[in-house]
Amino acid sequence: MTSARIFIAAAILFTACPHLPAQWLNYPTAGVPKTPGGAPNLKAPAPRTPDGKPDFSGIWEAEKNQPCPPDGCPDGPTGKEFFDIGWSIKGGLPYQPWARDLMKERMAQNRKDNPNARCLPLGVVGTHTFPLFRKIVQIPGLIVILNERDAMYRQIFTDGRSLPDDPQPSFNGYSTGKWDGNTLVVQTNGFRDGIWLDANGDPLTEAGKITERFRRVDYGRMEVQVTVDDPKAYTAPWTVKLNQNIVLNTELLDFFCLENEKDVAHLVGK
Amino acid sequence: MKAVSFSSVAVGLGLILAAIPASAHHSFFAEFDSNKHVTLTGTVTKVEWENPHARFYLDVKDESGAMAHWEFQMGSINVLVRGGWTRNTLKTGDTVTVNGYPAKDGSRLANARVITLSDGRKLTGGSSFGTSIQ
Repeated sequence: MTSARIFIAAAILFTACPHLPAQWLNYPTAGVPKTPGGAPNLKAPAPRTPDGKPDFSGIWEAEKNQPCPPDGCPDGPTGKEFFDIGWSIKGGLPYQPWARDLMKERMAQNRKDNPNARCLPLGVVGTHTFPLFRKIVQIPGLIVILNERDAMYRQIFTDGRSLPDDPQPSFNGYSTGKWDGNTLVVQTNGFRDGIWLDANGDPLTEAGKITERFRRVDYGRMEVQVTVDDPKAYTAPWTVKLNQNIVLNTELLDFFCLENEKDVAHLVGK
Repeated sequence: MKAVSFSSVAVGLGLILAAIPASAHHSFFAEFDSNKHVTLTGTVTKVEWENPHARFYLDVKDESGAMAHWEFQMGSINVLVRGGWTRNTLKTGDTVTVNGYPAKDGSRLANARVITLSDGRKLTGGSSFGTSIQ
């Protein structure tokens, strides 16, 4: 299922609705390359900024590659990585024993202690897989990722600064980016303990460092190759690829997790 | 309360809104039992059009005539709106039939899957156990 198909379906629905929404739900995205038939050409080359670098600007969502049975997927359509960040790695993640035990216990408890359920930030990796939208704004020296979830921001500095030496631990860490040809290589340190990399509860510790290689494959797709180097939780660095699809003709909407949170009181473990 | 099996409701004719993905705010299995189904008919007493999940409340008369108050969770506002809902789609006073999954903790709470309005229109509630637009 592509984003374009979602929004074609949504457009049909909206056309059929007697009351069109008043928000910018179907506001046309500017500058979309078109096929001869007038449809968005998602295979068109990636756009570029005036300095010739690939332009990641736009609204993106995680690829929903989790197969769903006819009756639906638990927790709705998502990517496999949302639940298991290491599903594509042969033999699984290279856990330290305590980290494997912790993940298994979190799963045995129906994932009820996921910080996500308590409306805490998802962190860098969890944000790439969460099934709400993100908007990338790219300007000289800085890339900002605006998250629909809790209106959260992430900054990636491309102005040549170094990573902080003794960073105050945080959910998103501190990110700097450099270009390697058409790939933006982002280094991040300064994470806090307690971050879940996925819904299964794979841990990230304060010792963790993350490298992301952003590549806009074409107009419609972006790949983020993520390498997690966290010797406290894993015996070796490991790498996964997180695919993202462009989302057209809409805008970000409010999503404040604590607005009317009433689920935590009903979550049941084993 | 009358429990019925869930088989053809979601694919029934007249489903006016496409199925909607959930927000994945929390684990479905930690809160709801996907092996059980409830179908309840009643009057909407309140709609909470808020995140992380829209909710509505239903006064339901059981077989003995006693009134029970039920709470239903739907998807996030974001996914509901993108699926065609507005804040006025469901209103206080509406009579509806709701099919969904009950809470594991035994409270009168369920995850709303399909909501049938009194005029026969069926709405997808953006259930956490939802299907995607295929």
